[in-house]
Amino acid sequence: MKVAMIGWEYPPFKAGGLGTHCYGLTRGLADKKVHLDFYMPKTKKSASADKPFLHIKEVGEATVFPYDRPTDKELEGDFFNSVYRYNDLVVSKVKGNYDVIHCHDWLTMKAGIQLKEKLNVPLVLSIHSTEYDRSGWLSPNQWFIDIEKEGMEKADRLIAVSNFTKRVVVEQYGIDPNKIDVVHNAVYPLGSGKKQDIVLFLGRLTIQKGPEFFLDAAKKVLDYGLKTKFVLAGSGDMLPRLINKAVDLGISKDVIFTGRLTEEEVKHIYRIANVYVMPSVSEPFGITALEAISAGTPTIVSKTAGAAEAITNCLQVDFWDVDEMANKIISLLNYNVLHKTISKEGKREIDLFTWDRVADRTLDVYREVM
Amino acid sequence: MRLNRFSVFNIGKTKSPYHYFDNTLNHKIFDKVARKCYLPTNKLLLDLIDQYDGQFKVSFSLTGTFVEYCKKHMPEVIDSFQNLVDTGSVSLIEETYFHSLASLYDDLDEFKDQVMMHNHLMKDLFNYSPKVFRNTEAIYDNRIAQTVADMGYKGIITEGAKKILDWRSSNYVYKSVNTDLSVLLRHYSLSDDIGFRFSAQGWPGFPLTAEKYAQWIAQDQGDIINLFMDYETFGEHQWVETGIFDFLRHLPEKILSYDHLDFVTVNQAIDRFEPKDTIDVPWAISWADEDRDVSTWLGNEMQHACFKELQDLGPVLKKKKNPQLVDAWRKLQTSDHLYYISTKGFEDGNVHQYFSHYDNPYDGFINYMNILQDFKQSVSDEIMLKN
Repeated sequence: MKVAMIGWEYPPFKAGGLGTHCYGLTRGLADKKVHLDFYMPKTKKSASADKPFLHIKEVGEATVFPYDRPTDKELEGDFFNSVYRYNDLVVSKVKGNYDVIHCHDWLTMKAGIQLKEKLNVPLVLSIHSTEYDRSGWLSPNQWFIDIEKEGMEKADRLIAVSNFTKRVVVEQYGIDPNKIDVVHNAVYPLGSGKKQDIVLFLGRLTIQKGPEFFLDAAKKVLDYGLKTKFVLAGSGDMLPRLINKAVDLGISKDVIFTGRLTEEEVKHIYRIANVYVMPSVSEPFGITALEAISAGTPTIVSKTAGAAEAITNCLQVDFWDVDEMANKIISLLNYNVLHKTISKEGKREIDLFTWDRVADRTLDVYREVM
Repeated sequence: MRLNRFSVFNIGKTKSPYHYFDNTLNHKIFDKVARKCYLPTNKLLLDLIDQYDGQFKVSFSLTGTFVEYCKKHMPEVIDSFQNLVDTGSVSLIEETYFHSLASLYDDLDEFKDQVMMHNHLMKDLFNYSPKVFRNTEAIYDNRIAQTVADMGYKGIITEGAKKILDWRSSNYVYKSVNTDLSVLLRHYSLSDDIGFRFSAQGWPGFPLTAEKYAQWIAQDQGDIINLFMDYETFGEHQWVETGIFDFLRHLPEKILSYDHLDFVTVNQAIDRFEPKDTIDVPWAISWADEDRDVSTWLGNEMQHACFKELQDLGPVLKKKKNPQLVDAWRKLQTSDHLYYISTKGFEDGNVHQYFSHYDNPYDGFINYMNILQDFKQSVSDEIMLKN
């Protein structure tokens, strides 16, 4: 079987779960002797494959990224054109005898549709997030929605990263539920380190990820008298607002903004964090929860996250319920036995979330469309 | 029994332990179950006893907690139990007043206190002195047997678990290895055929008719078959639509149609049959889950931590003689609270989740532990006040 996968990010260069997913999935498929060409934009540090059946093919320069918004300053005016330009480039570069074209998310959906028609090959589309998620359900942009809808309609089959996302695709985009398979994400376990007094938020500082709820909960935990640092790892458009908020709440000396971390730094902070909180407003899956748990870090996830439906050994809260979020953080810090049990059981459970399983499920989908 | 949501921010701020319990919800659940199960089943049993001139017999084990709910919310349930006891075809079974795990404490004084409380309750309500004991969740070990025998009981009920019987059958009366106490062993497969499987369509025995069931019983070997189940089986676990009441209505007739079968109460059972052999149970067994041990309530460290908090409060509280605090402490001993914290394997875990109102065992732990911390604080405040 030969597959052309059109992606956007791949380690070492990645900004989110999409890159992590493509890395694990492509390697998992290559292990199953699927010939896989992974097409992606040229980046500063070239990605390379470490499996005989896997080839990374750089298409050319791209000036937009999956998490960009048309309002971002540097891209102003040119945003839509750069998207179209890159998609055209992909269409011209993807050549060969493929059995399946596999695209991820909105950025390359147009190329996927054209390639399906040009090469007369079935199209599989993975949905890692939708415009509704990225906008935090506040004024989603119709331009993205139209692209996503067209892609979903024209694809032969869809893979959603959670039932939560499947529901969004059915309800917001009017797609037939029978056309959608759910495949939960996986993780390469990190292993734990020596825990320090750190409560961790890790992700883009955007409305979607709910960092301001994290700060509100931090305030309550600190007022309760607990001694711990609250670390926000990541960058994003909300950073200035969040810094101001920490100052206004009077907790800035216990809050640390790290900015964007490298791969190694990310792994390290997962390992030493005492508690991980993922308070996303809307989260199709949330691979970071798997990563934190695999590092033995008890994790609190938003109920509106795909991870919440997939993982048993985590705590769950409504993202807006900062009292309950604080209650759970404090309980984890005060009740040693809770921390220990959830850490141990979580690590055991996470061993089931393998990329091998994701590759198997994805292969099932390929076989269905071929 | 359900607890209120109780966060760390409530610790030290509760005015009365009464607020720990979700009284509205508990009342609502009781009310629903009383209407679906207790009242209609009691009425049916009374009719059957009348209809078969007392040849049909049953035994009941009622906790004090249950009786308190009846008294407070629906006294007619008590009346209907009194009518049943008055027929003479009904035995009452002793247990701890609270549905507690007091039998597993290092010191058994609290266990004995709760048994005596129950004893007085049975005397007051039904003018009845039970001779047979069954512990919470049928928990049993040699130490418990010894204690129960020392308190003057003639028999005890527990699970006919394979691990204590080995090749032997549960269809005989046994004797405890270390004391002169008759042991009645629950026939779990026939009991669960009604309790769990009655309406399971994938089960080969489905649909279960009274005739078929009586035939199974008639074919089984031995002196006695002990059928014990949650009373809620009738009308609550198995809804009226499953035909559970029709099944029960026809059961006596079908059983009595066999010459070698009749019904006995637990009291009659230990009088009629001599123990065939002894059973030796150094480690506690119960009727719960596949493991038939106490790991359902004490299977993980979170459960042990809560259990220890509870146990340690005992000596402190008993010195202080504050009835309200002692009552709250005992209600907090209800095994349900620990049951919700179970993290046991997939199969069993599913059953636990079905009965639980928490998202997961961790939420159950946080809520319960927060309450225990608040309670501990109330107890030490009380001590300070008295000093």
